[in-house]
Order: sequence, then structure tokens, then C-alpha cells
Amino acid sequence: MSTESPYWNPKTETLPKDQLRSLQLLKLQRLVDRAWHTSPFHRRLYERAGVTPDKIRSLDDIRRLPFMTREDWMACQAEKPLFGDLITRPQDDAIRYHLTSGTSGRQPLRVLDGRKDWSWIADMWCYGFWGFGIRPTDKVFFAFSYGSFIGFWGAHYCCEKIGTLTLASGNMNTEQRVKQIVEMGVTVVCATPTYALRMGQTAEKMGIDLKKDGKVRRVVVSGEPAGSIPAVKQMIEDMWGGKCGDTAGMTEIGTIMIFECDHQPGGPHIIEDHFIEEVLDPDSGEPVAYGQRGERVVTSFGRGFIPLLRYKTKDLVCKVPHSTCDCGRTGDIYEGGILGRVDDMKLIRGTNVYPRAVEAVVREHSEVEEFQIILSRKDDVQDEITVKVELKPDQVDTWARLQKQLGKDLADAHEGLRFNVELAAQGELPRFELKAKRLQDLRPQYGTRGAPR
Amino acid sequence: MTDQTRDLLGNDLSADEREMLDLYARLKDMSARTDLPPVATANLKQAMVLMWNACNDLALLHEEPGCD
Repeated sequence: MSTESPYWNPKTETLPKDQLRSLQLLKLQRLVDRAWHTSPFHRRLYERAGVTPDKIRSLDDIRRLPFMTREDWMACQAEKPLFGDLITRPQDDAIRYHLTSGTSGRQPLRVLDGRKDWSWIADMWCYGFWGFGIRPTDKVFFAFSYGSFIGFWGAHYCCEKIGTLTLASGNMNTEQRVKQIVEMGVTVVCATPTYALRMGQTAEKMGIDLKKDGKVRRVVVSGEPAGSIPAVKQMIEDMWGGKCGDTAGMTEIGTIMIFECDHQPGGPHIIEDHFIEEVLDPDSGEPVAYGQRGERVVTSFGRGFIPLLRYKTKDLVCKVPHSTCDCGRTGDIYEGGILGRVDDMKLIRGTNVYPRAVEAVVREHSEVEEFQIILSRKDDVQDEITVKVELKPDQVDTWARLQKQLGKDLADAHEGLRFNVELAAQGELPRFELKAKRLQDLRPQYGTRGAPR
Repeated sequence: MTDQTRDLLGNDLSADEREMLDLYARLKDMSARTDLPPVATANLKQAMVLMWNACNDLALLHEEPGCD
């Protein structure tokens, strides 16, 4: 294996854009044809939209295809349990079964994968891990529960493929994980950003200085938008002593579609030989220009069991040209990673508030150990936003100054909106292992007739 | 050896690429046999899938990923 190559797949990762587009078109045509012939779900969608596979003659023709939504998928599953009629292969051909994480409180999606799907899933992670400088000599630790949520499963198999020493920790608590990371001389740690911070905080409480006592040179994060917030990355790097790189994927595609390369240009590259990533105005459905925010709509060429075409992800992103990075890859970049969810914007007294933006401000203050955002309604009229903060044990004396400064910084970042900033007791706020839930919306919810739901 | 001469982008195949496609075709044929012991078939299938992955990523072929 040529370990000197900075690319997992030099041939396609550096492909000139015109050739990349030709490859995408060919793969798209075959995918549409396969979906049409083997997935009744897709056939219905396309017949309703009056589109047939022969209509896909250019990449722009992708816009003839109707969107696929999570709601459609869930309805299909509910109507024809367990998997709906979008799967293209007999269930006996599957080797893996996974579920979405369920953090949104909705019915999880069920997915199946065949052997080739699973190998492809691992391979997409290989693009990312290799691109971030991980090599066969590394020792990679997965702080992951290894349950039904797909999470880092594919990354684990990627590491076996690359040939690293791969450490699973599904049965361990946080202290045991920290201990093993130090004891084994682990060089790469994989976790959600929230959990990477938590392990760092736990190490401090155990009297372990990860920078001095550990050998970690890379922290690969995934699963939360915080992975691309500079202040969060800085905190992780300060704790661990290694470079922190973001990746993002989704259970619906089974793997990652973007990864941050070793050059870290301020966002992850799209793996364009395996995905078409459109960025559309969420209201009009029209494409937005480079540098404009919009909703990610993904088409994936890899999964055989479940064709995924023009899937509306509700992820908010901002695409910029590949040339903003000098690594040589021709896959474009999502500046700032996944910026949030199209539907997680909260309107507070006329101002748009995104939880990720609040987190970006809070994490600028290194005194903060954990926080929660609480939305409430005062006297049934006025919406209030409160940031409840738990300080690091040795920073409690800074509260008076911090409360004032944090309130000011949050207001400055939100058109002057007043935030209540409150102190939480030590250990009061919840901690998370997988995706964090730091927003509580306690406002009464009303249906279209005004009755509480 | 494979009689394919170009990749999906229309480039001439290199000798290494031809050999990879050839290996894939041979593994595919062998792993489809039903007269071999489980230890042979299962491991041939695993090897075939990995070769498919390499050929697919290198744009040498684009086969329907569901079929093993």
C-alpha cells in the first residue's frame, strides 16, 4: 500500500470537473434505471411526476426527478412493514440491519445492506480517514456504543480495511475509555464532538493530562453540527493535543458523504464521484449559487438495497468551490460543515435563532463545561430564551463576569435579542454519548385550530 | 484477460486496471459456483466484493451494487 499518497483514490478524487460530471451522469442514468425497474416506491414517484429513465440525458435533468422525503419513506414503511417497498433486493440478501438514531423522537427508519453495500459504506469512510492522514500504523479508538444506530460502524470497518489497530469500546464507561486510550497509546479517537469534550473533561477529573499522557494525534468527529464550529474544534484540540477533523453522514445513505481533509480549509469536501449534492432554496426548490445557504439534497450511487435519489435532508449548508482548498481534490466544500437543520430555526421575538449559532458563541467561553438552551413563554405572550450554563469546577468564580459577557455576545450575534443567562449547579445538566440534545422548547404548541397539541 | 479496453471515462485501461478487472471477473465466476464447500464460497464472495469495490471506485465498472 502506498502510504505516501494523500488520497485514498487519487484517480477520482482529483478528476477534472468535466470528467467528474460525466461520471456522475453515467452513474445517475444507471441508478434511475435501476430504481425504476426494481423499486416500486421509486416507480410510483416517477410515474406520478411523469418521468422515465430515458429522460435523464444531462446532469441538469436530475431536476426532472421528484424529491424523496423522510416522510414518504416512513409512510411507505408504515404501510408495508417492515421495510416498505423501496428495497430492491430480497431481504435474505442483506447482511446488516440498522436504524436511524431517533433523536428527533420520530419513528426510526429501518435500513438493510448487502455485502457490496457494506463494503462501499466502509470505503466512503476510507476516503475520509485516509484524507485526514490516518494510516495503517495508527491505533484507532471508537467511543461508540455499537448498537443498532449505524453511527461509526462503517468507520470501524474502514479502519480494518486500511489496516489500523482498531479498538472497540461499546461496553465501556467514560473513565474506562479514557484509561484505555492512554494505556494503549491510541493515536486516533472517533466520537461525537460532545462526547470528545466529555471524555476530555473526565480525563481532567481523573488527573490525566491527555496532551502529556496520551498519544492522540487526530480526533475524528461526526454526528453533530458542532464538529465544524471552530471554537468547539479548538476546545477538543486543546484537550486532546491532536488535530480535530469533521465528517458527516446519515443513516439514510449508510455512510459519510463529506469529510475534512488534512489541509482543513474550513469545511469538509464532498465525495463527488459517489454522490450528487444539490443545494437548493428550501422554499422554492431552486438551486442556490456558491456561497449561498440552502438545503442539502443528496443522490447516492453506492447503496444497492435502497436507491436514494434527490433525498431532502433538511441539512442547512453553504457550498463553495473545491479551489478554496489547495489539497488537489476536486470535490467541492461545505463551508462550516453542516450548519444546522432547515427546520431547527426558532423564531424568538422576531429574531431567527439557530441552536448551532448559540453553541458557537457559548463555546467561545472556555469556562463553560455544559449548557442547555431553554425556550419558554412568559404570561402566554412573550417568548423567552434562556441559556443555562454549567461551569467547569475551577471556573465558578468567573460567573459574574461571564454571565454579563455571554449575554452580550449572544445578543450581538442575534440582532440585539436579549438572552437570559443562568447558572446551573455542578452536574445538573445532562451529558451525552451520542448526539446531544441541548434545546428544550417548553412553549405551548398550538395546532391549526388554536388548541394545544 | 478482460476484453474491456476503456474505463467509464473513456480512458485506456492500464495493465494494472486490466488485471484488476480480470481478477474481479474470475472471483465473480468462482463465487457463483454452488459445488464448492462453504469455506471456499463464502471467502471467495468476500474477496469478490472487495474487488468490486476497488473496480467501482476506480471507475472501471459500474455494476448494480446489490448483486453478489
